Amino acid sequence: MKVRKSRRITNDQPQLEMTPMIDVVFQLLIFFIVTIKQEDILSMLSAARPAPDPDAKPEDTPPNVLNIEINKTGFILRGVPVSKALLERRLSNISEYDKKVSVVIRCTGDSPHKFLVQTLDICHKLKLSNLAIFSM
Amino acid sequence: MAKVKKVRSAGCDLNMTPMIDVVFQLIIFFVVTMKMTENEYEDIELEDGKHGPIIKEMPPQTLIIELGRRLPFSGRYRISINNALVSEAALSDLLVGRVNRYRNTNFPVLIRADYRVPHREVKRVMDVCTGAGIWKLSFVAIFEHKASKRKGG
Repeated sequence: MKVRKSRRITNDQPQLEMTPMIDVVFQLLIFFIVTIKQEDILSMLSAARPAPDPDAKPEDTPPNVLNIEINKTGFILRGVPVSKALLERRLSNISEYDKKVSVVIRCTGDSPHKFLVQTLDICHKLKLSNLAIFSM
Repeated sequence: MAKVKKVRSAGCDLNMTPMIDVVFQLIIFFVVTMKMTENEYEDIELEDGKHGPIIKEMPPQTLIIELGRRLPFSGRYRISINNALVSEAALSDLLVGRVNRYRNTNFPVLIRADYRVPHREVKRVMDVCTGAGIWKLSFVAIFEHKASKRKGG
């Protein structure tokens, strides 16, 4: 007797093995979380450089120009060494009645860059926009 | 005859689909936002500047000149663009080239200088910029610390 073998057709859906994929995906996720680096929020402090004029003398400066000198130790306003807080207070007083005052920041070669940035920051805080940097 | 109660041994299934969706979303986010190369010199410590406008989206013409600390062998201070060292002559050529290409000098030039660098070094960079006709310059400062530690704290 011929026995006919019946082929069994299963109705089962093909199963995708999820476990290794989830393992890999979690490894990736942990890698990215561990290696992500937050970045500082940066600001920019703008200023202009005056065109070099060898004939210009300090006496020629118009009265609405405020000179701030920066040297190795700190700030000098109208010939008097001042602290950062005092510089801010004096500039605040000046800016109250004259927002259009031109601020000329004169930096000596050995002055650290932080003093220039601090001065520009104070000027931006007080909305003083006519800023010029003069290197000595 | 007592009825035998069939106890189903099938475990409780956790629906994985939403979790995988969320995890894939997270991975795509990280892949897209990840920076593969360091395109800025990291060893520059910036001074705080909380009152300047925040740098968000800069126009593509923006040029950021980095001024780092003294190089160990040459004794010169490190001038770089996108973390690549440049000489003053190369920087000058680059700036003049840009001015000629854009036909103006209004593209933003930012100086990202370390807070300890003496002004004479900043002046060198500024002189190169003014030599190319760029008189308006901006200095990068830290508006809010997220990654770096506040100085002295």
